[in-house]
Amino acid sequence: MARVELIGLSKTFGGIAAVKNLSCAIEDGEFVVLVGPSGCGKTTTLRMIAGFEDPTAGQILIDGRVVNDLEPRDRGLGMVFQTHALFPHKTVRENVEFGLRMKRMPAAERAQRVLQVADMVRIAHLLDKMPNQCSGGEAQRVALARTLVTQPTIFLLDEPLSSLDAKLRRELRAECDRLHQVLKRTFIYVTHDQEEAMTLADRIIVMRSGEIIQTGSPMEIYSNPINYFVADFFGSPSMNLVAGEIVAGENGARFRSTAFEIVLPLKFRSARAGAATLGVRPEHVMLGGTDGIELPVRLIEPLGRDTLIYFDAASQRPFIAVSEGLSRTDIPLGTAVTLSLAPDRVHLFDADGRRM
Amino acid sequence: MRRSHRRRISAGVRYLLLSLWGIIAFFPIFWMISTSFKPDTQWFAWPPVYFPHPLTLANYLNVWFGAEEYAATQYAISSQKPLVSLLNSSIIAGISTLLSVLFGAVLAYGVSRHRILSETRMFQLLILRMIPPIVIVAPLSLYYSALGLLDSRTGLVLIYFLTTLPYAVWMTKSFIDEVPREIEQAAEILGASRWRTLFEIVLPLIRSGLVATFLFILILTWSEYLLALILTKTDVTTLPIELSKYQGTTEGRVYGRQAALAVGITIPLMIVGLIIRKHLARGFSFGMVRR
Repeated sequence: MARVELIGLSKTFGGIAAVKNLSCAIEDGEFVVLVGPSGCGKTTTLRMIAGFEDPTAGQILIDGRVVNDLEPRDRGLGMVFQTHALFPHKTVRENVEFGLRMKRMPAAERAQRVLQVADMVRIAHLLDKMPNQCSGGEAQRVALARTLVTQPTIFLLDEPLSSLDAKLRRELRAECDRLHQVLKRTFIYVTHDQEEAMTLADRIIVMRSGEIIQTGSPMEIYSNPINYFVADFFGSPSMNLVAGEIVAGENGARFRSTAFEIVLPLKFRSARAGAATLGVRPEHVMLGGTDGIELPVRLIEPLGRDTLIYFDAASQRPFIAVSEGLSRTDIPLGTAVTLSLAPDRVHLFDADGRRM
Repeated sequence: MRRSHRRRISAGVRYLLLSLWGIIAFFPIFWMISTSFKPDTQWFAWPPVYFPHPLTLANYLNVWFGAEEYAATQYAISSQKPLVSLLNSSIIAGISTLLSVLFGAVLAYGVSRHRILSETRMFQLLILRMIPPIVIVAPLSLYYSALGLLDSRTGLVLIYFLTTLPYAVWMTKSFIDEVPREIEQAAEILGASRWRTLFEIVLPLIRSGLVATFLFILILTWSEYLLALILTKTDVTTLPIELSKYQGTTEGRVYGRQAALAVGITIPLMIVGLIIRKHLARGFSFGMVRR
């Protein structure tokens, strides 16, 4: 069992609130990703769970037991750091073995466990090297092994992949996923990379300015962002967000921006007039239709299977549509194209960024 | 063309000045070594004898091994036990330096990681060292007399340890500051206690820095004179005190003997320096922890 519960957790650093009254529960065996822009308090939260920072207020419970006053080593956790934090003066083997030695495990058993874990994360060939002879990806594997070997019930991972290049990151991301499935332990993973969050998480906790903005499965967060910030943060390419206003019309509410004006879908019929932002994901923008949107093509970006079409929407952000199998020469740049939006996939955010 | 010409001239001037400075700086050392091999007739000779001829080992044999046949009979010398002084110096400087570096490192760890001393306190610690020893030495000798520490190795070890501790704290703190906290936290979460983390992770990582600090403080304690002069009498003599005793009653200083003694005092420091030179280069260049 390894259930983590945070109750009213706060942390201030010299008058600056890094985490504000945060409450949430992480269930046993769950893979939870804390995600948000830098400075949102996600790392501070993780470090409080680990025991490296004392909360200014609030409680941390592990399996129902308040652990606020426990030393990090007594909390039954394992942690992987952004900088891998291997001991530079010890060989890979000694690094991996360290936690077992601290538990006074007999040497023979230690050696066996080290080999077992080394096989698991494929570092057996590195055991006699020094950490500075390992590449970035290898070092992070060693760090994983060092944590795995002590068999913690809760894994804390603090941006473990952010110092690696894109290919390695994908590879190790899959590794993390695999480990979670094999070990069935609780994983709490911190990242600022929405893609990592989307691919790894059972549940995502989106944070900003020390507060939880939204909690949910990756698909929930992606399909039903609670506000402008979440809508903008998740998805690549990101959601089309067009500033404008809601005006009353004869067939119900209409949305008007500098580039286009449309009749809002039925669910927004009673929306109050005023400033608003319309959001729709690129995959929900269709070429053709009768919605009355006509925008000139600015750029066509073939990505292989999909093609991104950038339209000029008279704002700083382009308006993007995804189309399958379109090639660069199919539509000349500058051509005005008629577009329509999937009605049940349109989001509206009010002047304060809240979903309407 | 003109530019490279100018650069060559400026390099030439630079080397000339540095060579001059090198000569000025190294001449005393050369003179000490040269004098240590001179027979007594050449000690004060004018014009000076730069390269002794004939070379003699008499000074060394007499000073270090008390070989009577080489004794310069016309000089009355108040001490003849430099080997005992060498032993005293080694014990006193060695132990006080070790204590200073060890306690300094532990204290510095507390300052660096747990802020047990504020910035102001750290500065005050250094200011303590700016009190001239001459100010405290007279009252100190009274305390020492009362405590029975006068003229004892323990007394000197204690005062050297205390007076060099601020340097040790300052130097080792700068090294500990360089060790990424995450490395320590990794050890901590894997189950290591604070002390374990300090001795198994932090101190080994800064060993070059510790070695550099050790040598720096060893030089201070090895050559300390004033405190040793006042706080010891006859039982415990250190090498710098021994050196001052080679004074003739009628004819002034016994230069050859003094030079031979001084060479002997210098050599141990050089040996220590050579043994640890690999660490010194790294220790003094800081930032030796690879992230």
